[in-house]
Amino acid sequence: MFSPTSLAVPVLFGSVAIGASAAILAWRARPNPGAKPLVWLLVGQSWWSTCIVFSLSAGTAAEATFWTKVGWVGVMTVPVAWILFSLEYTGRDEYLTRRNVALLAVVPALTVLLALTESYHGLLYVREVGVTAQGSVLVEQGGIWYVVTAGYTYLLAVLGIVPILGLLSSGATAFRGQSAALIVGVATPWATNVLYNLGAFPNVGIDPTPIAFAISGVAYLGAIDRFRMFGANPAPAWRAKQFLFDHIHEGVVVVDGHDTIVEMNRAAAETLDIDMSRALGAQGTDVLPLNEPFRADGGRELLTVGTGSTSRSYDVAVSELTDRHDETLGYVVTLHDVTRYLQQQQRLKVLNRVLRHNIRTETNIIQGYAERTSGETAETITNRTARIVEISEKGRDAIDLFEDTVNDREGTSLVGLLERSLDAARDAYPEVEFVLERPAADAAVSEGLSVVVNNLIENAAIHNDGEERRVTVTAAVDDEQARIRVIDNGPGIDDYELDVLNSGTETPLRHASGLGLWLVKWGTEVIDGSVTFESNDPTGTVVTTTVPVRRSGLSHHNT
Amino acid sequence: MASKTNEPVSTDTTVPWHVDVPESVVDVGCRIRDVLTYSSTYLVFIAMIEVLTVHLVLSIPPNPAPIVVGLVTFAVYAGDRIADAADDEVSSPERSAFVTRHRTLLSVLTAVTYGLAIALALTGGPIALAITLLPGGFWILYASDWLPSLGSYFKRLKRILIVNSTIVASAWAIAVVGLPLAFAEASVTPLAAVVFVYFLVDTFVNTEIPNVRDVEADEAVGVSTLPVVFGVRRTRHILYGLDLALVAFVAVALSLGILPTAAAAAILVGLGYALVLAWFVGRSAAPGRLAIAGEAKHLVVFALLLVFTTGL
Repeated sequence: MFSPTSLAVPVLFGSVAIGASAAILAWRARPNPGAKPLVWLLVGQSWWSTCIVFSLSAGTAAEATFWTKVGWVGVMTVPVAWILFSLEYTGRDEYLTRRNVALLAVVPALTVLLALTESYHGLLYVREVGVTAQGSVLVEQGGIWYVVTAGYTYLLAVLGIVPILGLLSSGATAFRGQSAALIVGVATPWATNVLYNLGAFPNVGIDPTPIAFAISGVAYLGAIDRFRMFGANPAPAWRAKQFLFDHIHEGVVVVDGHDTIVEMNRAAAETLDIDMSRALGAQGTDVLPLNEPFRADGGRELLTVGTGSTSRSYDVAVSELTDRHDETLGYVVTLHDVTRYLQQQQRLKVLNRVLRHNIRTETNIIQGYAERTSGETAETITNRTARIVEISEKGRDAIDLFEDTVNDREGTSLVGLLERSLDAARDAYPEVEFVLERPAADAAVSEGLSVVVNNLIENAAIHNDGEERRVTVTAAVDDEQARIRVIDNGPGIDDYELDVLNSGTETPLRHASGLGLWLVKWGTEVIDGSVTFESNDPTGTVVTTTVPVRRSGLSHHNT
Repeated sequence: MASKTNEPVSTDTTVPWHVDVPESVVDVGCRIRDVLTYSSTYLVFIAMIEVLTVHLVLSIPPNPAPIVVGLVTFAVYAGDRIADAADDEVSSPERSAFVTRHRTLLSVLTAVTYGLAIALALTGGPIALAITLLPGGFWILYASDWLPSLGSYFKRLKRILIVNSTIVASAWAIAVVGLPLAFAEASVTPLAAVVFVYFLVDTFVNTEIPNVRDVEADEAVGVSTLPVVFGVRRTRHILYGLDLALVAFVAVALSLGILPTAAAAAILVGLGYALVLAWFVGRSAAPGRLAIAGEAKHLVVFALLLVFTTGL
């Protein structure tokens, strides 16, 4: 009953076989994103090919035109399924509402209806134009609606390709492979169809689009099997970006280059106590009461919302958005809640005042009374109050350390810092020999390092009761970091002290003997450095502190 | 063509028959046996024989129908094995392990074979295509989880008593009898109707035989089969009844002159064979082999038919 007319017919059989196989594999991949629309797409294109085969094998003109008309069901399934697949596969399924799908199906449904009823109107005609030498009936299609539906089909094809194109630049090989295979799969038949409609295949006798489905079927099979289309799916990536934007704790406001708010997340709307729909389209400077216009120079501004005890403070950071030519597209303004940080800072300031002023005043009074008397008791009182003053100063150092480091943007000279520390130590501990081995080149380091070095030198000097007490400080600098070593010949640091320090926490029963080593640890952590303790040979300790070098600070010079 | 095969692990301490055969040969043989049984490839051969039987009885000249049915049989049964691999862990652990191990290969193979079957069916015209799609469509209704996914009202038809086996039997009977007719563009005659009824009832019986062994597993997953609902003894009686009803039906068809004597004789011998097998239902220590023996009945019928009609 069937007489092949050309090479096209075996290829049509191939396209049905491949399309049906790929459809079965896609069916089994449900409920992966895109699986169901892909089944419809493959069924649609297979049905199209099937109808062409039946049309070519038809014994009569009526039969041939019947199959051509019925083939329109497949023809119009393909573009709708393609756009649905593209959106679902790339994670944009929020657009796939029943209403949108119904709207997308209006033109295809009308087309099928017009094809089946073509004899009554001719808007989309399907008519016999001849018979081949092998006896196959040739059918021609056209009409105004044919042009409309072709345009609609091409539009959906292009719209569907756009999200897939974005995956071509994905970092994941699987996604690049999948998207390339999908684009080949969809572009080949559509390009064939465009060329056919432009009259590029005058002698084929049939619409060769289904023939190209053989290639697209292979491409889809490759995407499914070779590139694990339903094993590694990019859909969550798109949703994750939106999810992150919507659910991040920081408020985010996006303004365009004209200061118009174009996007805002829930946290920002709650922070600014504004209705999101009202804020979108409003002027950014009206909604964000900042002192200066938007600028993305790394500077930060503090925004306080509300009054009294219920007020909250936000650290406002502005990042510039640019296009590929580095032209400004807009700004992303982030609002980071720093209320708790500021409250803690306030408490530290009060504590600082108590340590700095009140304790010193009270100990001065005690010392004054002690000096009025004499003897061993008076001496003990004087020594102990001096110790209290010393501890309060260390506590104050700890507070200053965080504040100074936060405000210290430029950095200070490493050599100068070491010299100052050693000069002070020589004055305080004249019985100890201090040696400084300077680095080959100076570098800018955080001012916070001075607290670390001072405490290391003091610790090395105090806890050394030998006859020849010696503390050596060496420094070495490279492009990235400075390494300072404080070496003493004392008895060494107790392992118990180091264990407590390494554990990072103290308990009432397990604690270090003072604040000095804690200041060393906290100081290096605050300035992004590290510290290690080793035993010196034959006695003593080698403490090595490594800190980053500030690039924008000091210009290097030989010392 | 509805078989389940997986023998329980033998604890027999007797010396195996192949003790003198080289180990490598035994190993290859075992592998081939595993592939044929666990992937249901042997059913492909049986299905093709059934279609050739139809060709002989209805005097239809050779056409691609046996190949199409063979391809579809592999696709549907191996596909069913893939879908049920998890459920089969209880009743057929070895088959389940085999399918799980080769899941990707089997999945691609089944898809490609069904695709080829559909493409081949195009040469037979729209009816041949529709019949080829029927087993796949019935399988979606019968076994896949698509129907339940439409709502709680629907459930896998595989779980519903009689409906499950009837769907399987209908799909295969239509394919086995309808495809040769569609390819030949022959009309449906009374003889074709008799052959259809024979294959329908026979496939139903063959579907229920392996269910006897799977009673516990089917109960566990909520599948209602004759043994689950009526018990093994009554199931055996039902199978006797169906086979005997078929004997009577064939006798009537013969007496009315619809069925040729050679075909009737071959079928009746086959039904005698089926009655003997039914006696073993629930009594055999190797239920998997019983299921294969049930399917192999078609080889007996075809061989007899060949002898009776061609005098070979």
